[in-house]
Amino acid sequence: MPRYMIERTFPDGLGLTPNQQGNQAATSVIANNAQQGVTWVHSYVTPDKKHTFCVYDGPSPEAIRKVAERNGLPVDRITEVRVLDPYFHM
Amino acid sequence: MDLLERDRDLQALATALGEAAASRGRIALVAGEAGIGKTTFVEHFLAAHGRDARVLKGNCDALFTPTPLGPLYDIARQAGGKLAVGIEGSAPRAALFSALLEQLQGGARPTILVIEDMHWADEATIDLAKFLGRRVAEARVLFVATYREDEVGPHHRLRTLLGDLAGSRSTTRIALSRLTIDAVRALVAQRPFDPLLLHRQTAGNPFFVTEVLSSAGHGIPATVRDAVLARAAKLGPAGRTVLAAAAVIGGRIDPGFLAAVAGDTQEGLGDCLSVGIIEAAGDCVAFRHELAREAVLAEIEPGRRRELNRRALDALKAAGGGRGDLAQLVQYAEGAGDASAVLELAVAAAKAAVAVGAHREAEAQYARALRHSADLPPAERAALFEAHADELAIIDDLERATEERRAAVALWRGLDDRLKEGENLAALAWPLVRSGRNAEAEEVSRSAIEVLRALPPSRQLADAYRVRAHLRMLDRDRPMAVRWGRKAIALATRLRDEATVAAAEMAVGSAILVTGDDRGRAYLDRSIARASRLGQDAMVGLALLNIGTSYGEQYRFPEAEQVLDQGIAYTSEHDLDHANHYMRAWLALVRVHQGRWSEASDLAAALVAQPSLAAISRIMVLVALGRLRARRGDPGAAAALDEALTLAAQTGTLQRLAPVRAARAELAWLEGDKARCVAEAKAVHALAIKHRHRWHAGEFAFWRRRSGERVAVPAWCAQPYRLQLKGDWRKAAEAWHRLGCPYEQARALAEGDAAAQTEALAIFDQLGAAPAAAALRQHMRGTGVRRIPRGPRATTRRNPFGLTVREMEILACLAAGLSNGRIGTRLHVSPKTVGHHVSAVLAKLGAASRGEAARLAREQGLLPQNREVGDAK
Repeated sequence: MPRYMIERTFPDGLGLTPNQQGNQAATSVIANNAQQGVTWVHSYVTPDKKHTFCVYDGPSPEAIRKVAERNGLPVDRITEVRVLDPYFHM
Repeated sequence: MDLLERDRDLQALATALGEAAASRGRIALVAGEAGIGKTTFVEHFLAAHGRDARVLKGNCDALFTPTPLGPLYDIARQAGGKLAVGIEGSAPRAALFSALLEQLQGGARPTILVIEDMHWADEATIDLAKFLGRRVAEARVLFVATYREDEVGPHHRLRTLLGDLAGSRSTTRIALSRLTIDAVRALVAQRPFDPLLLHRQTAGNPFFVTEVLSSAGHGIPATVRDAVLARAAKLGPAGRTVLAAAAVIGGRIDPGFLAAVAGDTQEGLGDCLSVGIIEAAGDCVAFRHELAREAVLAEIEPGRRRELNRRALDALKAAGGGRGDLAQLVQYAEGAGDASAVLELAVAAAKAAVAVGAHREAEAQYARALRHSADLPPAERAALFEAHADELAIIDDLERATEERRAAVALWRGLDDRLKEGENLAALAWPLVRSGRNAEAEEVSRSAIEVLRALPPSRQLADAYRVRAHLRMLDRDRPMAVRWGRKAIALATRLRDEATVAAAEMAVGSAILVTGDDRGRAYLDRSIARASRLGQDAMVGLALLNIGTSYGEQYRFPEAEQVLDQGIAYTSEHDLDHANHYMRAWLALVRVHQGRWSEASDLAAALVAQPSLAAISRIMVLVALGRLRARRGDPGAAAALDEALTLAAQTGTLQRLAPVRAARAELAWLEGDKARCVAEAKAVHALAIKHRHRWHAGEFAFWRRRSGERVAVPAWCAQPYRLQLKGDWRKAAEAWHRLGCPYEQARALAEGDAAAQTEALAIFDQLGAAPAAAALRQHMRGTGVRRIPRGPRATTRRNPFGLTVREMEILACLAAGLSNGRIGTRLHVSPKTVGHHVSAVLAKLGAASRGEAARLAREQGLLPQNREVGDAK
């Protein structure tokens, strides 16, 4: 299954908090993803919380957009990526 | 015997039955390797729950060529009524399918319908399962299908059905697993076997384990076969005689029939039953497992096997075998080495298969008949080649269809039967053109007319004219298509051949309409009316397809959308999958141009996942996907369009190549590669001009000019492109707006002044057209435009569940507590349509009930935005 990097912008900052509400939001994202065969691997977020870089496994860019729509998450750009491990070359 | 380690699976099936009893019909797919215990599992379930329901059960048999609708014969016997009468009276299959559905919908109790061993199913049975799968949701039915997972490879015909059913919310999948070491230990109990060793040797296959445990008990045999033979070795001579006869007969065996084949069975059958290799199955007996039968059959000496087949053939013939026994008779005749019986029976079996639409089985039987036809008179052989060619064409084996048709032509020519020669030459054009060998198709079509014209006017000549018209239409050659089509209509009308008139009207109408001339529509409407009167569903579907896609090709999207919707509904109701897929592919492309990208994306994603998509449908859906990804800046556009080009190149026609090349030119432009953009736009530009295709010629000129080439623009090119190429961006934008193409409109505005560019930017941002928006922003900054709007604001949770506008309206009605009837009245649609929408809304929200959907709608704040979204459209 292809892996994708998804760049997102949150002008007002990402509201995901480490509490009950935040957990619920993350759980609902995971459930919506599963319906489309999409897996959220992990994300990086900038210190101001206005930009995220999310790594997803999914069958197609259409599935990635579909879950973004369901989850109410913005998408700036989707790029297909592969892992490049520096230690592999040492 | 206790059923080990199946509690959870039994519970899943029981839950499904509970749903079915509450009028939410369910499909259960029970899968596992041979010997995993699928039959035992189902029997166990029926023993526990069969009393709460009516049980109907059918089996697919392990014949070289299966009996068409074999399981339906079993089911009809149990169900009785209209179905039993119909199947004995050779009723058409549509009547049989709906008779079964009627049976399932009636009755006070729910029905458990079981079809076993679907990996051996014939084509018509798979169609039956598909038919039921699509209609089961509103009936009180639990439909259980079992199959061997390991025998269903990616190209197995069952794959399509599984793909079809997997998408349904009504489907429960049950994968039976192998026994654990604990279960094996429990089965061994006090017997002198090492459970660990037994588990390793048998890999926990329940059939293998029990076979070992019931054999003599000296060591563990290496294979299932050895285990079976060890058990069989316990039989005396009488038992072995019966066992060999039973292995040749196969399936569920009537004891009287067994006696007719094996002679005296009194002692031998009793032995087989007590050893347990054969079991009682209702009034019949059967091998404990097909694996056991295979092992025994392989051991029978060839001369003995021939003899047993001969006796089985005679006994079944004497018993007056009906339509449902033909495939079995053929197999006995072949086993007996009786060539003339094979020939006669295989032809009868083939005809019976055609009658119920089991074309793969019909093809196999005709091929078998032809293998035994060396001594047949040439005219009869030619007729066999014709029939075989027909079936091969239907199952899309075009190369062999062409060969067989050519063989028929040669035989008729040898017999100097000019009428038959001409008829077959005309028929030869069809497999040729469908495999992309257009020049050869033209040639045989011309020869057909030449041959037939020398004879008195005939239906064959009318059809040959019709074929010629169709070929010219496919090549977008309007004058010749109309000329030949009118000849066909005139002659066929005189000879009262309605079907040929309807087909010719379709060719003429399509040829006219596809050039953008509405006069073609009248021909097509007449063709539809005529085909409906004749009950030719496939032709009605094809005519709707031609109308819808002709509008699409002419950028007349509102009309395309309306006819495609109608055609998609019609073809799904009549199970015409190929036409249905092709129209959905086109609808995806229409949605791309209409800027309804989310819908385009859903349609395309569902369609490319279809396992058996015909090449032409795949080309069009890949074009839609390629354009969509290119415009959104998503990855995978090049991959989709590379595949589309490979497929389109095989056809060599403008109809396929032009959309692919145009999409590739657009992608190259968006990636900033002007040289590649020119190369793609040039590839079939001359061909588009030759065919005077207004839109393709316009778009190719547009890309070439944009990439800096000087290129002439004929006056007949499509107006919006012509205006844009003239530099009249304002009028071009207006024209695109009138056509309902926001992206193309914005592309024209982007060539205008700062105000127009700002407007273009807003459209691009709203669509999510990131590459076009980024390029325009850069251009505006470069030319010193001030106050360029920032990027799109992050999407808020406006419509987090991806509901369509219609579904949002339905949701609002649900929240207001309206019934389907009231909703229908308010939205001017039938309550049934409302029902479909409500199911879709519940599915998208993941809500179990209307009440929960209403609660979610309020909690998630979906309701106030309803109006806003509705207005935005």
